[in-house]
Amino acid sequence: MLEVDLLSVSYGKHVALDNVSLTVSPGEMVAILGANGAGKSSLLGAIGGRVTPAHGGITFEGADLLRLPDHARVEAGIALVPEGRGIFPGLTVAENLTLGANPRHARAGADAQRAEILALFPRLGERLGQVAGTMSGGEQQMVAIGRALMSAPKLLLLDEPSLGLAPIVVQEVFAALGRIRETGLTILIVEQNARATLALADRAYLLEAGRITGSGPAQELRTDPAVVRAFLGGAIPAEQ
Amino acid sequence: MALTTLILGLVLGGTYALLALGLTLQYGIARIMNLAYGEFTLVAAFCLVALFQGAGIPPLWAMIAVAPAGYAVGWALYAVMMRPLVTRAGNSGRLEVDSILATFGLLFLIQGVLLVVFGANFTSISYLDQGVRVLGVSVAANKLIAFGICAVVGGGLVLALHFTRWGLTLRAVAQTPGSAPLVGIDVNRMARQGFALGTALAAVGGASVAMHQTFSATGGVVFTMKALVIVIMGGVGNIGGALVAGLALGLVETFVATAIDPGLTLAATFAIFLGVLLWRPQGLFGRG
Ligand SMILES: Nc1ncnc2c1ncn2[C@@H]1O[C@H](COP(=O)(O)OP(=O)(O)OP(=O)(O)O)[C@@H](O)[C@H]1O
Ligand SMILES: [Mg+2]
Repeated sequence: MLEVDLLSVSYGKHVALDNVSLTVSPGEMVAILGANGAGKSSLLGAIGGRVTPAHGGITFEGADLLRLPDHARVEAGIALVPEGRGIFPGLTVAENLTLGANPRHARAGADAQRAEILALFPRLGERLGQVAGTMSGGEQQMVAIGRALMSAPKLLLLDEPSLGLAPIVVQEVFAALGRIRETGLTILIVEQNARATLALADRAYLLEAGRITGSGPAQELRTDPAVVRAFLGGAIPAEQ
Repeated sequence: MALTTLILGLVLGGTYALLALGLTLQYGIARIMNLAYGEFTLVAAFCLVALFQGAGIPPLWAMIAVAPAGYAVGWALYAVMMRPLVTRAGNSGRLEVDSILATFGLLFLIQGVLLVVFGANFTSISYLDQGVRVLGVSVAANKLIAFGICAVVGGGLVLALHFTRWGLTLRAVAQTPGSAPLVGIDVNRMARQGFALGTALAAVGGASVAMHQTFSATGGVVFTMKALVIVIMGGVGNIGGALVAGLALGLVETFVATAIDPGLTLAATFAIFLGVLLWRPQGLFGRG
């Protein structure tokens, strides 16, 4: 469904991504694990159209994605929840959700989609009239994810959805991601919370200093000594 | 007497409010501070007069053509003149300064052309100027029509901004342009629309000015300044605030002109402006 082929991104002289290749198949949840500054946001930014790559290719459903400007990629079926969430802080929760359904293909099913999102995040239903910028970090993250789902995406890109949230809220967000995944939606997620992410994902790639240094099924990576050392910290978790 | 001031003040304020709406749309959505704004108002006013005196087309009919013509001119101007500035500025924030300089130049260009074509004399027409009694006060019919047009266009725009998907999209771009592409909004397209719509409002405002006021080719700056004062008084980006502040300014000017001296209206405008800048820089209706 998504093919990233030898993609490089530079900021001036600084090379943030160096010949990165990866694929995501329909219905899969793929994770990208990497430390701070590894280039995770640059990768999602290039797919979402916020960052222009120096070279390399990205195809989505067989079509060249790099030819589309950022707003057209949402129409093509790619929804990005960026780092920092990118919601409309001055508008209400309801307005944020309505704007999510802005792509033409999303409008017809917007009401049903909205009902599903409110079932997923009941807290949003109680706060529909609240100005989004006055919500807690976790609630804003729910608005951001909900808004992305409103665009009826084929591929959901998530950039560190658990960043800066209290552990209990992180659990809540991951529980919601689990339910979104059950709907069969294709997801590409960037996370530092490797344990929770690997528990959900099908496959993962390891990104270090702009290069892919490993990849494999999430099940295997969870017990891979190198991954445990770099991302999970401490001993291999007990597996039954 | 008080009632006359009130009604005439509201009539004047209606035009001001409409002009301020257009300026705030251009600034809020296209991020272009258009110093030539008042010149577009004048161009429309002169066109209305020329059509009336030259071709006998009644201003009310001409008005129907003025709004779309203004939209088209704004659209073309954005594409030819503003778009290169937007592209060059990128995210650097240079657009504000560049657009001020560019439209400052445009101001003199349009003013020069107007002076050559229409001369420097004050212009006005007499059209539907028989009195109509409103609450016991006699008001010229043209003033009432001008007010009606401003109320319908301005009120319609406010309703559209708050109750339609299109309006929601415009507000989203005005408040958080960086997030707009995430929901598939083409920010450049919205900017062009906002600029064109603002020019259309300048044109409708100009047409209503032509129907009941005296104006000259060099008076555009005053319209721009008043619109700017109202935008700042209402709180930048606050559409409802601009409407109320516009009506308020019309009332104050009419009161000063009738109760004190007509020569002091501009001084009164700027006294209010200074007061707002000093004590409530966020605008009368701004938060914080
Ligand atoms: N706009 C920019 N200008 C210059 N350098 C940048 C820019 N954005 C990112 N970088 C650099 O590119 C590298 C990769 O950044 P990126 O944001 O993609 O990393 P990340 O893996 O998402 O990090 P984090 O976990 O902190 O979010 C970093 O070294 C960063 O400093
Ligand atoms: Mg990042």
